[in-house]
Amino acid sequence: METTKTLKTEKPEKYDEKSLKGTIVSVGFVAAVIVVMWVAVFWIYMERV
Amino acid sequence: MQHRLEEIWMTISVGILVVFMIIIGYQTFALGMGPPSHSETIDPQKVEQIAPFDDPGVKEIAENEYEVVMILQSFGFNPSNIEVPVGAEVHFTMTSKDVTHGFQVPGTNINAMVMPGHIQKISHTFKEPGNYLVICNEYCGIGHQAMSTTITVK
Ligand SMILES: [Cu+2]
Repeated sequence: METTKTLKTEKPEKYDEKSLKGTIVSVGFVAAVIVVMWVAVFWIYMERV
Repeated sequence: MQHRLEEIWMTISVGILVVFMIIIGYQTFALGMGPPSHSETIDPQKVEQIAPFDDPGVKEIAENEYEVVMILQSFGFNPSNIEVPVGAEVHFTMTSKDVTHGFQVPGTNINAMVMPGHIQKISHTFKEPGNYLVICNEYCGIGHQAMSTTITVK
């Protein structure tokens, strides 16, 4: 009885986690843009030192 | 309620910021690559009586090391004919007699704001010979667009 109870409460959490996949892809994309721009500017600066 | 993905992106976000700050901190404090100084002040009315600005020009201060003492004023740079050797470390010491001027050499990391009352210092090593354009990049008055000179690197 108890095991089924815990399973039931865990299930909705798993669904929530799945729905965040698009979000992490978007956040990852923003992170990539930030990192690429930072590295590019940093590279130009170091090139000219 | 905890989300694994949320934890991941929060960690990455904070991680990126921390990495950027560590790199910039290392550059500034360990490699001495900080922004121009502005740490010394001067009376802008008496610039020409106060050393080193009583004798502006290019001076060899050590082997392969030069100091350029420069006064900026509307609408020119004094000295205006600067010549330094390739590969020498050049220290620019600058101040303004009137309004805020800029000192930028496009294509290099030299870009400083030169304010009256402040002494601005910036160092650079020119690795390639040639004529480098120097421009004032702070709007300083009616002749601002004409405020430029060149640095000759031989
Ligand atoms: Cu100017």
